Amino acid sequence: MAADAKRPDGGRTPLVQLRGLTKSFGPVVAVRPLDLDIYAGDFFALLGPSGCGKTTLLRMIGGFTEPSGGTIAIDGVDVTRLGPEKRPTNMVFQGYGLFPHMTVRQNIGYGLRLARVAVAERAGRVERIMDLVRIAELAERRPDALSGGQAQRVALARALVMEPRVLLLDEPLAALDLKLRKQMQEELRRIHRQIGGTFVFVTHDQGEAMGLANRIAVMEAGSCVQEGGPEEIYRQPKTRFVSSFIGEANVLAGERRAGVVTLGAGAGFAEAGADGTVSVVVRPEDVRLDPGADAEIRLDGRLEDVVFLGPYTRYRVVLDSGEEVVVHAGDAAGQAVGERVAVGWRRDRQRLVQGS
Amino acid sequence: MTAVSNALWRAFGALVVALMLTPLALVVLFSFTDNALTNFPIERFSTRWFRTLFERAEFWKAFGNSLTIAGSVAVISSVVGTLAALALARLGERLANAALVTLCFPVMLPALVIGIALLVFFNKTGVPFSLATVILGHLVITQPFVILIVYARMVGFDYAAVDSARDLGASPWVAFWTVTFPMVSTTVIGAALIAMAISLDDFIITFFTIGGGNTLPTYIWGKVRTYLDPSINAIGTILLALTIASTVLALRLSRYRG
Ligand SMILES: Nc1ncnc2c1ncn2[C@@H]1O[C@H](COP(=O)(O)OP(=O)(O)OP(=O)(O)O)[C@@H](O)[C@H]1O
Ligand SMILES: [Mg+2]
Repeated sequence: MAADAKRPDGGRTPLVQLRGLTKSFGPVVAVRPLDLDIYAGDFFALLGPSGCGKTTLLRMIGGFTEPSGGTIAIDGVDVTRLGPEKRPTNMVFQGYGLFPHMTVRQNIGYGLRLARVAVAERAGRVERIMDLVRIAELAERRPDALSGGQAQRVALARALVMEPRVLLLDEPLAALDLKLRKQMQEELRRIHRQIGGTFVFVTHDQGEAMGLANRIAVMEAGSCVQEGGPEEIYRQPKTRFVSSFIGEANVLAGERRAGVVTLGAGAGFAEAGADGTVSVVVRPEDVRLDPGADAEIRLDGRLEDVVFLGPYTRYRVVLDSGEEVVVHAGDAAGQAVGERVAVGWRRDRQRLVQGS
Repeated sequence: MTAVSNALWRAFGALVVALMLTPLALVVLFSFTDNALTNFPIERFSTRWFRTLFERAEFWKAFGNSLTIAGSVAVISSVVGTLAALALARLGERLANAALVTLCFPVMLPALVIGIALLVFFNKTGVPFSLATVILGHLVITQPFVILIVYARMVGFDYAAVDSARDLGASPWVAFWTVTFPMVSTTVIGAALIAMAISLDDFIITFFTIGGGNTLPTYIWGKVRTYLDPSINAIGTILLALTIASTVLALRLSRYRG
């Protein structure tokens, strides 16, 4: 798989290793015992809906929240009990957390000053990082005179100038408007390419995760439910939650008895596995209207809605079972709304997940 | 509203302000006269009463005591108040509000009650009366103000800035002095000056807790009881100037608007 080709493994030890990491706030379990490996050079996304524990997990890696259990190792060193100032990580906070009483240059130089980097070297590194994130002309401004996008860049520069082993970003683009967000996504990709560091970022936007990351961990209610490359997660979602959270998906209920799956909508096929309810997940772009002979799964329904969206047309079909199937097709097929149609797809295009 | 009633309201307001300010204006006015008694008509303006005041050793003693007490109160209540406000802000709104209400009881009590309570307390515990007991007494009423003012500043405080400082290598101590304190310093200094103004002004608590010696207000009190000469007006003017100066500075620093 393309995304997997970039994956650095093959006996290499991960840069960040989380083992059984968990956090409870009183009765609330924010992060359930969780194992995760992040490799050097990864642009790693922690993706999940609001409240699933992404920020808590990131803050534990950065040293701002003490874990209730488990360990964090960075570069093979156990850092679980270390404060943030002693970890080889730097974080870009959601609200940026710029120092309002310092200029942009002082903000960026703050960490180097504390590390007692010599004045000349410090100035040089600050200059270079300001060039990298393209804020050189803002050097003497105060944070309250910056736009959201500029503040974002300053926060990024302030963390990057420390040359962290791992850069942590909490919803780095959430506060920006759509256009700026797209622009900053490109910037982040460029910066990651240019300095070749390891970035871990939190987002609830699957598009952003897919667009930036080479590895994605999907989180649900404090657990990591799947980890993999973007394509793997899109093509082979392990749970129904993952399939519907990442992109659009058709999910059809079915039941498996003695290795035969029967869909509530009608079709059936053989697939070995445990008895019980199952769900079939298939992406809209993999479903065909009036499918050809190669479509092993075929269902009948009524065309409910057609929307032309430019690159493709979106068809909404209501099956006889009452379930809905969305089809994205490049070529207009000429069916009219209200007509009876057949939909179908190839077996290798669908995913079967346990449960409903 | 009609123009007439508008004018009436304004006149009423002006009257209230005039009534409140007239005594103060008179004090200032008479402190600069040559009259031997505080009475009209004023024949000549002079700084005679200031000069007689400045010649007296007791005045300088009282002045020094006032400054020592007000200065100590300002420093102690701002340090303790800042720490308390920071702690309260971390406590969560519910608990913090309960704590604030409790802390503010002394402000609601009459100063006389606090004064007598402190007198009894120091007596029973055998603490000798001195400037230190006055400072402690003043802290009882200034501390709540400082905590309230600094706590109000902490609402909406950007904790991510402090986290960032830690992240960039600052120990908790360094993060406090390089980020937290500079971010709240103007408010803290403003609160300290308000504490100072309250302390400078206080008579009742001082009276009950000082034992021997004087501050400016108790010095005035002593003079009023013996011989009422216009040098009292001069002390009043000095107190007024100090209080107004520290309050104005405090309001400017804490960017008080309206
Ligand atoms: N300091 C805290 N005290 C108590 N509960 C907390 C605390 N921080 C987080 N939680 C709870 O832990 C859970 C996970 O929170 P977290 O902030 O990690 O979620 P998130 O995935 O970052 O969500 P979002 O996308 O909204 O930022 C939530 O239920 C939250 O209410
Ligand atoms: Mg969050």
